[in-house]
Amino acid sequence: CKDELADLNKNPNATEIPQIDYLLTGAIKSTSDAYWGVTNNMNSSLLFIQHWSKIQYNDPDRYIFTNNDLQDLWTSGYTKGVTNLNKLVLLADEQGNTNYKGVAKVLRSWVYLLMTDAYGDIPYSQSGQIKDYINPTYDSQKDVYYGLLADLKSAQTDLNAAGKPILGDIIYKGKIELWKKFANALRLRIALRIADKDVEKTKAVLAELTAEGGSLISTNLENAQLTYSTSPNQNPISNLFDTRDDYRISKTIVDTLRSLKDPRLSIFVSPTKDVTEQTYIGVPNGFLDAKKYELSKTSKPGTYFLAPTAPAVIISYAEVLFNRAEIAARGLSTEDAAGLYKQAIEASLQQYGVSATAINAYTASAAAQYNATNFKASIGLQKWIALFGQGLEAFAEWRRLDYPELVPAIGGTLSGKMPLRFLYPGQEQSLNGANYKSAIARQGADLLTTRLWFDLK
Amino acid sequence: QSLKITGVVTDGPAGEGIPGASVTIKGKETATVTDVNGSFSISANVNDIIRISYLGYANKEIKVTAGTTQLKISLEASLNDLNEVVVTALGITKAKKSLGYAVQELKSKDISTAKEPNLINSLAGKIAGVQTTNSQGDMGSSRIIIRGETSISSQNQPLFVVDGVPVDNSQFLGNGGSRDFANAISDINSEDIESISVLKGPNAAALYGSRAAAGVILIKTKTGRGQQGLGISINSNTTISNLLTLPKYQNAFGQGSNGEFSYVNGAGGGVKDGVDESWGPPLDGRLIPQFNTKGKPEPFIAHPNNVRDFFETGYALSNGVALAGSGEKQDIRFSYNNLTQGGIMPNSSQNKNSLLLNTTYRITPKLTLNANVNYIKSSAANLPASGGKRATGPMLQFTWFGRQVDVSKLKKYKDENGNDFNWNNSYYSNPYFIAYENTVGQKRDRIIGSAELNYKITGALSANFRTGNDYYTDRRKIKVAFGTNGTPTGSYQEDAYTINENNTEGRLEFDKKLNDNFSLNVLAGINVRTNTLEQNDQMATKLAVRDLYTLNNSRDPLVSSNFYSKLRTYSTFGSAQLGYKDYAFLNLTARNDWDSSLPRPNLSYFYPSANGSLILTEAFDIKSEVLSFAKIRGGWSKVGKATEPYQLANTYTFTAPFDGNPQQGAGLVDLNPNLLPEITKSAEAGIELGLFDNRVKLDLSVYNTNSINQILKINVSPSTGYSQKLINGGSINNKGLEVQLGLNPVKSRDFSWDISLNYALNRSKVTELDKEGLIRSYTIGTNRTVDVLASIGKPYGTFFGTAYQRNAEGQILVGAGGTPIINPEKQYLGKFTPNWLGGISNSFTYKNINLNFLIDARIGGKVYSNSNRTGTYTGVLESTLRGRNTENGGLSYYFPGNVNTGIAVGIANGGQAPAGETVYTDGMIFDGVLANGTKNGRILPAQQYYKGFTNVDEQFMYDASYIKLREVKLSYNLPAQWTRKIGFQNATVSLVGRNLWIIHKNVPNIDPETAFNVGNAQGLEDLSLPTTRSFGFNLNLKF
Repeated sequence: CKDELADLNKNPNATEIPQIDYLLTGAIKSTSDAYWGVTNNMNSSLLFIQHWSKIQYNDPDRYIFTNNDLQDLWTSGYTKGVTNLNKLVLLADEQGNTNYKGVAKVLRSWVYLLMTDAYGDIPYSQSGQIKDYINPTYDSQKDVYYGLLADLKSAQTDLNAAGKPILGDIIYKGKIELWKKFANALRLRIALRIADKDVEKTKAVLAELTAEGGSLISTNLENAQLTYSTSPNQNPISNLFDTRDDYRISKTIVDTLRSLKDPRLSIFVSPTKDVTEQTYIGVPNGFLDAKKYELSKTSKPGTYFLAPTAPAVIISYAEVLFNRAEIAARGLSTEDAAGLYKQAIEASLQQYGVSATAINAYTASAAAQYNATNFKASIGLQKWIALFGQGLEAFAEWRRLDYPELVPAIGGTLSGKMPLRFLYPGQEQSLNGANYKSAIARQGADLLTTRLWFDLK
Repeated sequence: QSLKITGVVTDGPAGEGIPGASVTIKGKETATVTDVNGSFSISANVNDIIRISYLGYANKEIKVTAGTTQLKISLEASLNDLNEVVVTALGITKAKKSLGYAVQELKSKDISTAKEPNLINSLAGKIAGVQTTNSQGDMGSSRIIIRGETSISSQNQPLFVVDGVPVDNSQFLGNGGSRDFANAISDINSEDIESISVLKGPNAAALYGSRAAAGVILIKTKTGRGQQGLGISINSNTTISNLLTLPKYQNAFGQGSNGEFSYVNGAGGGVKDGVDESWGPPLDGRLIPQFNTKGKPEPFIAHPNNVRDFFETGYALSNGVALAGSGEKQDIRFSYNNLTQGGIMPNSSQNKNSLLLNTTYRITPKLTLNANVNYIKSSAANLPASGGKRATGPMLQFTWFGRQVDVSKLKKYKDENGNDFNWNNSYYSNPYFIAYENTVGQKRDRIIGSAELNYKITGALSANFRTGNDYYTDRRKIKVAFGTNGTPTGSYQEDAYTINENNTEGRLEFDKKLNDNFSLNVLAGINVRTNTLEQNDQMATKLAVRDLYTLNNSRDPLVSSNFYSKLRTYSTFGSAQLGYKDYAFLNLTARNDWDSSLPRPNLSYFYPSANGSLILTEAFDIKSEVLSFAKIRGGWSKVGKATEPYQLANTYTFTAPFDGNPQQGAGLVDLNPNLLPEITKSAEAGIELGLFDNRVKLDLSVYNTNSINQILKINVSPSTGYSQKLINGGSINNKGLEVQLGLNPVKSRDFSWDISLNYALNRSKVTELDKEGLIRSYTIGTNRTVDVLASIGKPYGTFFGTAYQRNAEGQILVGAGGTPIINPEKQYLGKFTPNWLGGISNSFTYKNINLNFLIDARIGGKVYSNSNRTGTYTGVLESTLRGRNTENGGLSYYFPGNVNTGIAVGIANGGQAPAGETVYTDGMIFDGVLANGTKNGRILPAQQYYKGFTNVDEQFMYDASYIKLREVKLSYNLPAQWTRKIGFQNATVSLVGRNLWIIHKNVPNIDPETAFNVGNAQGLEDLSLPTTRSFGFNLNLKF
């Protein structure tokens, strides 16, 4: 009877071994949803960096968060990202398909990067290994970045365009050479992220990239992004605006784009529902007096972003160019900083289908010129615009570059300060308390205003 | 010389006849039972002793003398009598004196006169150690717990067994509709119940094995036994219900923010008209355009009963007829009952039809067949919503509310153009629109049936075979209409559950008096149990056209899922009872289960129990005037428990494909291939005393239960890769004391007064979570930032949430902004489990009139109230009136230069601002100190003041104690001479009331008894529907 009973208990509802390509699709979709979704993007980072603002229930726009409010990046990142991607690596090894392994490492590095950029110290070396570590220790942010750089380097080796093909790749449709470019673009991003703190490591990574001779994302067609589809796979922003009407575009970016005569204004921002003199009206972040801001007289995001099939952009060609420009500006390469900066702006405008005439007019305008004496100011401003919608990356880069000089939300509750990180999930206190405590002892109090390691000032 | 003796057996000297009482001649085979009037006839010889016995009454023996022809025998109800028999595990009746554990029974009259649509509620306050919690409203689910929570994470509700058939009591919350679906035991019709026997824990219920750890509730339905001729009884019960609780609202300020409001479109188009809070202008009749005035300014006035007026008077009509008869060869009882119920929520209703057939055929003197079938069809066109859910729950929008809103103006919820309109269009649909258009229906078709054969092999040895089945389908249809706020194109969902449990059992029983001193009863058996569950959900997330609810009417691909599970357990069991001289008893049981849910090496597990009793008064012959009866008892038991199917291997589930690419992903729980069965060990001791000729009866129990090696899904840091991990390890200890006291202070021919009192105290302590000691807390449930935890060293169900930051003196620290600082570290804020429970029932009988009332109390334990939190945030509660104007103690202040984001400066009430700035009168100062120890003096507008502490969970934790007048019954038994004239044998009319009055509570605005659902995450109140009181009458006729 024991055999009969044991057979009876075989789960008929799911498989014990996943199919590798289905797992890849699932991991990309679920991590992109978290990245582009409400908690990590719309209701936090997009508000912090004043791309968006909140017109109804604007507590988050005033930096009022409980320690449960910012846990989704952590929860989704580890349970939907890291766990499935770790399994993908194991399956790839079993099947001898190093391309799946390389792809999994690239995605996993991106997920860890999102988490460390937001929270600071995070479980890394002991994470995602529940059989061995039920209370994973937190690695310092520096160690996490180092680990990611090493992992991405090895992914470069794993990825081989002449190797076995992969399926289920809803980012690049199985084009391995593009995954190699994505991996390198991430390495460049991390190298620059730590440049203020650990420039020697930046140099070492750049030297590796040069030595390997690998290429970077080199056109908008190569952008690492998930292009969403129709329901139930529509873009999370589209999904939210289908049913709710809580968000507006921030006055900060609307006014900036208008003063720059930036052609992206009409793409990033929808005209107000009621006809208004200015057509595009942003709402100030964290306003206290709701009377002035009516739903029908303020601007939602542009239709480009509200479409069900809008992409969740992970790394764009424009970002790569800005990164190369800054590397040059810092004297870490011999490339032409000003030229790359101009190309970066062009790439961003092209990404949104702006006409060549308008691009030329804009790049020729005084407002869009590169400032060699303060590269952080010009790159900071233009990168902030180019990263519109990519809340988490824009938040990280704004903290590093300190430009544009954002003024805290009107009703901000951080004594005149801006948020500089996410709060750790509240449940870490009860579930992994000792390690949580040692992390905050090292990093500083678990507050929104605590400065992370990579963020020099 | 044989005499033909006739007689009548009555309930007390003036009571009704007792049908079904057993009449035997001592030492002979002759036996009969009384008919529906309590009459019997029997042949006996002079000097024979006629013995009359009936469950729950003291036996009586009468010696036949020459000339005895007619007897009038009155039996006295007994609580603790030597000869009382009770139903024990596996449905075996045993003399109560022989049991080594506490068992308590309720009779038909205890539960069926003042009816509850959900059977569980009928038990409230009547049995020591049983805690029931009605979830909310007047339909829906109820939770029952016996002797505290013994399982940290899994089912803590007892097993229900109806006529030997274990029946399902699941709730299936489902994934849509947010309704409070009734738990499955509510299907049972209380009119059909003869008795309910409560086995309070593993000691009593060890023979049930796996599912006994939380106790067992044995329900015995009525049979036709003893009914001579055709007996017809009719029962009709009519009750109406209305609100028992409703928050106290303020009626001084209307909708809006910062004192401003003017309606244009209810979505931010006017002045603060998208705001769903009541921080607006005073309700002083000033002229303001409102939602129903088409832009015309009209007086802004209070509608104090606007929330109350939304609710309707509920009703419940229960009508039933039962036919019973018995003959030499068979007993039959058939009953039909209909329950039609309308809820306090507009457009909520349910209907239940129940058919029950109980039959016994005595095929030969040795072979008897019992066959029972109960068919129940319950359907609810629309169930009331559960709390806090956007699309359905009215209390959400009544707590986020404009106090000026005239709800009667919302009743016609479509305007002349057919469009839905509401007082607020940012967040809500019209509450009537939701009630009438967004319906959630539930239909349950259920058959509980069993067939049982008994064969008497010899006088002492008998064999029994039984198969019993509980099968039902539960189908839900969840409609969301076009135009619903947040779901503009509506949705439609169908969920179906099919549940089946089969138990097939064979057993042999040997029962013999070995000699004058010793008696022996031995039983051995085997059982095969099979449970299956099938779940099928389909949803059209967006409808293609309005008002058509089919799955094909969908503009997006359907979202579908299904789940199938099957569990099988093989068991062997045995028990032995050794009796010595009818005053000392030893009981032993043993059981071994083989359960499919456990891994192959661990799927067999064995557990024993032992208990004994000693009747001191008999053993030591110490009867006296004072002491009529004394018994001590004690026992120890162990039971094992397996788990749900498919908990051993991690699997990867599918989600809808992305552009033709199927998606798979890991689950959130790391499962465990090495699970062991859970073990509950329990020791129990008790004493039963009867004093002053049994007019004082005391039954006292103490117990200590350790539940170890529990199978737990513990929360782990998601950085492990999973949110939860399935482990063996949790341990929880429960200790408790139970007292039942029966008093009969007055007993005379015409008048008697009975008091029944019960008291139970339970203390739980979580002693271990994982073996390695790495996990300190298990999260049972969460609402906002409040967790309910099982934390090591703490009682089960401890709250953990945000608290005020305090200095060393305990004073609350206030930040520079004038609002309190929240301690970044969450704190323990008490527990939800009560300190003790009690009930006192008084019964007065004067001739044919009986008055009975029951008061019950739950003392200690806390509740987190989100109704209070939200109502404070939104300014709708009366408690937010303080400080909102000068009359209510508000301080006067102005903002220098009228910059209202600046710091307010206080002035004397009625004073002028120096530069003529606007003067406000709603200033409040939070009572606390600054970091430097000086008293906070920062004036805040009342709106900011009240919102300033709504994220502090500590502020919204309340003592959940209550004392309630639970039940009142006034019955009049029509005199026999009247009833006979109109052809009835018996007629009783009763006035009944349930949940009439909360005599005492400490939490404002809500009923502290409210529960979320039947799960373990209790103590988290969340915008629950008001609870109800009900009253009506009951008519019982027999002819």
